[in-house]
Amino acid sequence: MAYKKIAAATLVSLSLLATACGNAGTGSNANTNAGTNSANAAGAGNAASNDQVTLKFYSYNLAIASQVPGTEKLIKEFEDAHPNIKIDAVPVASTDINAKVQADIVAGSAPDIAQLTFDGLDFAVNNFNAKPLEDIVPADELQSNFEGFSQNGMKLGQLNGKTYGLPFTFSTPVLFYNSKIFQDAGLDPAAPPATWEQVKEYGLQIAEKTGLTGAHVGGAAGGDWIIQALIGSNGGQALSEDRKTIKFGEPEAAGAIQMWQDLIKSGANSKLNDGEAIEAFSQGKVGMLLFTSALQSSFVAASQAGGWELKTAKMPAFGDKPTTPVNSGSALFILTDDKAKQQAAWEFLKFVTSERGYTIITSEIGYLPLRPSIVDDPKYLKDWVEANPLVKPNLEQLDSLQPWVSYPGANWKQIETILNDSVSKAIVSDGDVATIMQDAQKRAQALIQ
Amino acid sequence: MENAGRRAGLYTSAALKHASLVALALLAVFPLYWMIVTSLKPETEVFTSSLIPLHLTLDNYVHAWNAIPMGRMLTNSMVVAVIQTAAQLITSIFAAYAFTRWEFRGSSFIFGLIALTWLVPFQVIMIPNYVAISGFGWRDHLAGLIVPNIASAFAVLQLYNAFKSYPKTLIEAARLDGASDMGLLWRTIMPNLKAPVASIGILLFITSWNDYFWPLLVTTKLENTTIQKGLQMFISSDGNMWGALMAATTIASLPVLLIYLMLQRQIIDSFVKGGLK
Amino acid sequence: MSYEAVGMPRHAAGAKPKSKERKPFLLRLGRIKPYIYLLPALVSIGYWIYKPLLQTFQLSIYQWNLLPTSPKQFVGLKNFNQLFSLPEMGIALWNTLIYTLGVIPFSLIIPLVIAIATDNIGRKASNIYRALIFLPMIMAPVAVSSVWRWIMHPTNGILNKALTDWFHLSEPIRFFTDEHWAIWSITFITGWKLLGFSTLIFSAAMTGINKEYIEAAKIDRAGSFQIIWHVLLPLLSPTILFMLMMSTLFASEWSFSYINVLTQGGPFNTTTNIYYLLWTYGFQSFNIGASSAAAAVFFLGFGVLAWLFMRLTRKLSFFDN
Repeated sequence: MAYKKIAAATLVSLSLLATACGNAGTGSNANTNAGTNSANAAGAGNAASNDQVTLKFYSYNLAIASQVPGTEKLIKEFEDAHPNIKIDAVPVASTDINAKVQADIVAGSAPDIAQLTFDGLDFAVNNFNAKPLEDIVPADELQSNFEGFSQNGMKLGQLNGKTYGLPFTFSTPVLFYNSKIFQDAGLDPAAPPATWEQVKEYGLQIAEKTGLTGAHVGGAAGGDWIIQALIGSNGGQALSEDRKTIKFGEPEAAGAIQMWQDLIKSGANSKLNDGEAIEAFSQGKVGMLLFTSALQSSFVAASQAGGWELKTAKMPAFGDKPTTPVNSGSALFILTDDKAKQQAAWEFLKFVTSERGYTIITSEIGYLPLRPSIVDDPKYLKDWVEANPLVKPNLEQLDSLQPWVSYPGANWKQIETILNDSVSKAIVSDGDVATIMQDAQKRAQALIQ
Repeated sequence: MENAGRRAGLYTSAALKHASLVALALLAVFPLYWMIVTSLKPETEVFTSSLIPLHLTLDNYVHAWNAIPMGRMLTNSMVVAVIQTAAQLITSIFAAYAFTRWEFRGSSFIFGLIALTWLVPFQVIMIPNYVAISGFGWRDHLAGLIVPNIASAFAVLQLYNAFKSYPKTLIEAARLDGASDMGLLWRTIMPNLKAPVASIGILLFITSWNDYFWPLLVTTKLENTTIQKGLQMFISSDGNMWGALMAATTIASLPVLLIYLMLQRQIIDSFVKGGLK
Repeated sequence: MSYEAVGMPRHAAGAKPKSKERKPFLLRLGRIKPYIYLLPALVSIGYWIYKPLLQTFQLSIYQWNLLPTSPKQFVGLKNFNQLFSLPEMGIALWNTLIYTLGVIPFSLIIPLVIAIATDNIGRKASNIYRALIFLPMIMAPVAVSSVWRWIMHPTNGILNKALTDWFHLSEPIRFFTDEHWAIWSITFITGWKLLGFSTLIFSAAMTGINKEYIEAAKIDRAGSFQIIWHVLLPLLSPTILFMLMMSTLFASEWSFSYINVLTQGGPFNTTTNIYYLLWTYGFQSFNIGASSAAAAVFFLGFGVLAWLFMRLTRKLSFFDN
């Protein structure tokens, strides 16, 4: 019967059409995907026989507009030097990246290399099946390659004695300040605040004299690294050494958050959220901003456009206690099971963390050089650092760097969210900080399995 | 005397009516106006409140176009929306035809099954569908965006109403003239239902063009996604470039706005008839 | 979804029996004909809506994080027991109520007032108004978010500039980041998009009302308030109920896009609602069991609500007879 044929034909052509368009729409990526799918045996075979490898790389630097050119340059230099390896780079926002990797592992289309933040280290090792470098690279090669690499930094990607994440882009909390606002408020731009006491004092003075916002401490939301830095600087801990007990409800920790609440209550610190504070600071409307050093390049551009001078200082201290700057930032994880790809991925990791790699990362993307000696090497960063003295506080903090602690178990993200939310709430409210933090600790502890 | 007073009253009430409608229209249109105005302002003017751009520039469009693969994403959106609309129309024309042409066992039940899907929110079924699409290897393929949507309960219900309005006697007459079932559908009924089918098609196209969640879940790369998800990524990566952001937003809305400009009467009518979701 | 379309197909009585001359196997074929025509739509709906719906119910009794490396663990009703002890759940439910009630002025009250007040306006003028006020409805949610984000920006947005000029605010309103404002800002945007559409729905309903009722009431010397209360509102009640049902069932779904683009549920969970919670459980913390259990509960809950509304609608729609 005609209708039956037509109906069947329509169905078939419909599905063909849909598939065809799917392929057409993906265009050149169709090949890439076949090659990328590590479960796909044919793809793996191809990669070996042609010696042509494509690595799917998730990067959050590519999701931040100001960091795109530098990151693309890094990738391009690598590809030029390794014509048989192609990097298929995918931008993913840093707040989404761990979830995205998990969703993609589910889909069987996991990236070969992922740039993950350190708070997800534990989970990446136990659930994403991240490959330790020790299993991929011979011990002597590994050792010789990391001569001159920051040992403090290197430790951050290690768990159970193996290097799962290769530290990549690092930043520390730096106090940015606006020299012009300092002058207008009668403060000395050459003497930035060294303690939180002074931050409050200066902030109030700025607010009073100029009507602008005095200070903003970032990091209450979107990752807990600055919170951990503050807690540590006040002598506290987020998690016990044995990784079993949550400690952010203890008095030292609560004391650090108490200081934060005081800053806001007194009016020295704005009630803006981080995004708004960054924008306002760029427009010359905020005196001081404690946030990731990665923002430096965009602030430099903004200050030049706005006609004010940007300055930086180290993270302020609690009285005479030592500060413990915690790094924000990421490591590169090799996730692929394919041997050929693992080797190619290692080549990529080696290049981006080489002297040349960190020259680009520091000067054009805005993160710390984890090979500190290149700062004095005229072949690499010497001239640049001299031309950009603002990076110095950031470099100095590298020595006292503390690792960003990741919470154990599948609920790590929820624990971090509990801390972020509780702090966010505590600092803008009149509530009793100790009670809020203890409650948060109790809820978080229940999530540790 | 009394008449004059009454007329004055009528005038004031008419003025009030217009005033409230003008206010409502302003509220509805101003954000779009502001979007377009901002997108045409040079960087130095973006932060001013001037209601008209003093120096027109297309710089923001150039910036937005270069920052994200706009052309590619617009093409993707267009391909998805056109194919999806066509597929939904075909599947629902057949379904509606079956419901109106024959009486058959379970017809009410089947109709009910289709109608009830409007109660199923996207979030309730997203996880299994995500797993299914992943299983087919359709992530980052346009097929993954299109195939789950080749049938639309909304379209079936709307077309059913349209088909129902077509006189049964005409169908009978054509049948007695020896028309086949297919011929009857395409040569007798469809030519008379062009208008409702077209307006339902436009609605489906707009819905598909504006869809955001499914692309959000099943696509990762900007080159493979639709303009709506691209716009959302632009907001989160370059959120303070307001001029460029408004330019990107304008581009993303343009096809739908143009269709609306040409066919607003039909679109409004079919929305009011067809409702939401 | 329209309230006219909810009904089941009613066939004209006396549909013709099939031709007698046809051969038996054709007769049998004739009987399956409608099913063949229905097949494409049914297969798609079955595979992409009903199958996943059942799977969601199934997943709700497991603990799983979607990863192939970790096994699905059968936990029975544990996910359901824990559901309402989750701290975010209370907030999400409360916010869902706020969204639902908050949208009603935009979907019901203001449109009703305007539709009644502006009935009988000139045809030409009315067409222009219709075209303008309907515009938000066709805009994409992401585009809408983007535009309002700019207008309501705390320091550079034109709304805050205007408010500061007019009311001399001491500090700008942070519409999306102040925990007291954020949920209302999202509600407003959700409502803004609906406002024109709802107004047109009520206007259409007004046009459809037989004006003799009003004339009759006028002859009986009823005041305009009495006419509205005793004549118009009862006549409009199916439409009112319909819009009420839509707002109740879908306010949270409509606001989802704005939450996702503008606040991601924050500041500290003050803008999450149940659908956003499903989303974060599903694709942020990968707590598939909890997400599915919550999905199952809310799906059934809203199903019951919808059923109640439809019964009520059917009762009330006899008014116009």
